[in-house]
Amino acid sequence: MGKRDAIVLSSSDDDDYRPSPRSKRSYEKPKSKSSVTRTNPSRAKRPRIPNSRLAKQSSNVDEMRLAFRDFDEVLNGFKVSAGSRKSNTKELWVDKHRPCSLEELAVNKKKVEEVKSWFEERLRTPKGETGGSSVLVISGPAGVGKSATVHVIASKLGAQLCEWNTPTPTIWQEHVHNSSAGMSYTSKLDEFENFVERVRNYGLISSSLNGNSKSSIILVIDDLPVTNGRSAFERLQRCLVLLARSTRVPTAILITDYGNEDSSDLTARWMEELQLSLESAGASKVAFNPITNNSIKRTLSRICKQELCNVAAEEIDLIAKASGGDIRHAITSLQLFCLKPNAELYLSSSNSTPSYPKENANELNTSSGGFSSQYGRDETLTLFHALGKFLHNKRETENVVASDQNAFQVGEKFSRLPFKMDSPEKILCQAHGQSRPITDFLHENVLDFLSDEAVDDAWTVASYLGDADLLLATFRRTLTRHSETENVLQSAAASVAVRGVLYGNFHPSPSRWHAIRKPKLWQIDHSSSHNQNELLRQRFTTDVGPPSLSEVSVIATEYRPVLKWVGYRKAGDVGILESEDDSVQRMSMDEDSEICEDDDDIEDW
Amino acid sequence: MASSSSSAAAGGYDMPWVEKYRPNKVSDIVGNEDAVSRLQVIARDGNMPNLILSGPPGTGKTTSILALAHELLGPNYREAVLELNASDDRGIDVVRNKIKMFAQKKVTLPPGRHKIVILDEADSMTSGAQQALRRTMEIYSNSTRFALACNTSSKVIEPIQSRCALVRFSRLSDQEILGRLMVVVGAEKVPYVPEGLEAIIFTADGDMRQALNNLQATYSGFRFVNQENVFKVCDQPHPLHVKNMVRHVLEGKFDDACLGLKQLYDLGYSPTDIITTLFRIIKNYDMAEYLKLEFMKETGFAHMRICDGVGSYLQLCGLLAKFSVARETAKAT
Repeated sequence: MGKRDAIVLSSSDDDDYRPSPRSKRSYEKPKSKSSVTRTNPSRAKRPRIPNSRLAKQSSNVDEMRLAFRDFDEVLNGFKVSAGSRKSNTKELWVDKHRPCSLEELAVNKKKVEEVKSWFEERLRTPKGETGGSSVLVISGPAGVGKSATVHVIASKLGAQLCEWNTPTPTIWQEHVHNSSAGMSYTSKLDEFENFVERVRNYGLISSSLNGNSKSSIILVIDDLPVTNGRSAFERLQRCLVLLARSTRVPTAILITDYGNEDSSDLTARWMEELQLSLESAGASKVAFNPITNNSIKRTLSRICKQELCNVAAEEIDLIAKASGGDIRHAITSLQLFCLKPNAELYLSSSNSTPSYPKENANELNTSSGGFSSQYGRDETLTLFHALGKFLHNKRETENVVASDQNAFQVGEKFSRLPFKMDSPEKILCQAHGQSRPITDFLHENVLDFLSDEAVDDAWTVASYLGDADLLLATFRRTLTRHSETENVLQSAAASVAVRGVLYGNFHPSPSRWHAIRKPKLWQIDHSSSHNQNELLRQRFTTDVGPPSLSEVSVIATEYRPVLKWVGYRKAGDVGILESEDDSVQRMSMDEDSEICEDDDDIEDW
Repeated sequence: MASSSSSAAAGGYDMPWVEKYRPNKVSDIVGNEDAVSRLQVIARDGNMPNLILSGPPGTGKTTSILALAHELLGPNYREAVLELNASDDRGIDVVRNKIKMFAQKKVTLPPGRHKIVILDEADSMTSGAQQALRRTMEIYSNSTRFALACNTSSKVIEPIQSRCALVRFSRLSDQEILGRLMVVVGAEKVPYVPEGLEAIIFTADGDMRQALNNLQATYSGFRFVNQENVFKVCDQPHPLHVKNMVRHVLEGKFDDACLGLKQLYDLGYSPTDIITTLFRIIKNYDMAEYLKLEFMKETGFAHMRICDGVGSYLQLCGLLAKFSVARETAKAT
């Protein structure tokens, strides 16, 4: 296993008002030491200095040195004491089973190879002589191993890892306190900019890392400062682009994708924009995909073996599926899942004796039947079971319930045999399903389950689904704040959708296997929001005016043609056009979905 | 003040029963057996993973976390737990400062125990504040663990979801609520008739908090829990009345149904109240599948119109008329 030393560089205001930063560190030292000794020696070693400050001004370099001397002390102490203790009950499994070799990494081999060769190339060739920038953007959804990959590769290449950590913001009282002491306020974004500036000009101060001055350094920016508002974001973007253009230290910037999150969420949109601008500044990009089911399963079984818990293959399969390609979540779920309430004996004994009776384990497995369906990020799995019930529409073969003579008699055409399941509302409640996805899924899949001849059935089902959609649409538009009314509308919509499908499917097609597909509805939403982003971005690169998002369709139909006609010269009337839209845009911002449809048409045209 | 032990000696009026009878042991928590049994194991063995508890209100999420923290930390609870909810200031600065300070704090705890940060109503945190939490969670994972409670897990940003194990809570069943009500009723020596408790369960709709609140309100208002008092206190249309309306429609007595509606309306119930109760009645009313579907659909539409502002008596009458039409269509010839 390669040794991995990561230094966390963070600056914080904590020591601003302490008498001397030195005392702060010595106070801090025992803590970081103890946290190090606690770690399992077979894994990542990440001694941290929470409060060493990567100086704001260059005069703080001395302080830096001191900090790193501390670091080395800690490191030495760590080398001596590590390995003596083994504590496996204290840690999260995610930390405990952090991959420490390339083989253990669950990420796609090709991607890992890509990242690795990039780093190798940057580290081998003398600084600044390679073509292109020395910034690598790694993007991907949460929990696909972006950071883990960088860490493992760095340790493999024997490089030191420096991480940027966003400092704690200053709260008002603190500011008042500081300003009386003559300290001026610097925003955290300023600090980040300063940091980047320094890195660009001087590189990381490798000489101060006295022990390992030979080894190469990789800078990791994992935690981008939170930006609030457009102008702050643009500053961040500008400063990162500068970094991408001119830094010489190999740098990895990790950006989390937000998948199909609300297109109205500005941060997601900005992150995408940030990636694009970094790319255009010459940064290479590697996009990580969600981790495949199989590699998650492999990792989970390995962990199970190490933890000595016997989990059936199906359970692992379920957890892997439910995690939706997020390995960190899969491991956390596994940890929770392994806490079997009736496993008292086994859990308490597992620390001392590695072997345990086989029968016991089998018993445990059977007893934990439908447990895991409750856990997991991906709600679609529990949804899946419920949908299966609704779509297959299992009913009794004959009307067993003796009909009450007084009860209202329903016509032949409208009567249905009783359900062979609980009432739909109860199933819905158990599935933890939201009405919107349920309606979408039913809409996408129900036709497969209808008999080919039953056009009338299809008509019935479609009309009920349409009704349900209408109910939901109102909910979305008015955005009523009363939870009570929300509840009724939502559950009415879900009930209508589900019961409509159950009722309408009078002639089910002969039961055979169908894959349940994801609704296409979302895909269109997603791609249209992507188009919108694209449009907005193009516009902002040409226009340096105040950031305002004007209506997308207007951009598509008027702004872009105009730009074409004038040959990309700045037209004076663009500004007027913009101000006219302002009032419209306010309203249209909330109703993204409605614009989307217009926009899509336009795009096709 | 553990559930069964306290027999309401003194100061019984000082505390809401919801607080007074809040279980402080994980094993006392009602419902959601799967989730609770796992939490029990955590309470015994320690090493709590980061958790997100999500589910509708009144199902015991906060109670579970608090009980878990109490059991895990015992006497250290005061210094080793940081509890923040929506009423606290939870902007980015607080998350970064308070939580980070807390995470760095040194507290001597037995092995396998960690400091716990409880973030109640986490879905109301801004996404910026949640972003700020992301890294903190990772860096201090060997000394501090996080427990988040929220109503919809999708409002928690993905990076946080990825770092936590999700535990879903669902609505409590009527039996589970009844069981707990019986305990409280016994401890407080509340005079009651079974129909009264039934009514409380109906009004609560799977929400334990509401059930207990309604029980206490009825008791302190009337000193006796029967159906009538419960509906007076909760100020909901009497379900029996609404049920009769539906029955009249199904029997073809449209005039009677309208009369019932008029009575309800004259009592001063708003159309929203009436239709909410009506929807719940229809959901549980035993009728032909087609009728149920149609009734639900029409109720939904009527509700939609009322939400849009057309909350008139005419709408409700129209709804009853539509029910009757649906019935006529489906009638056996």
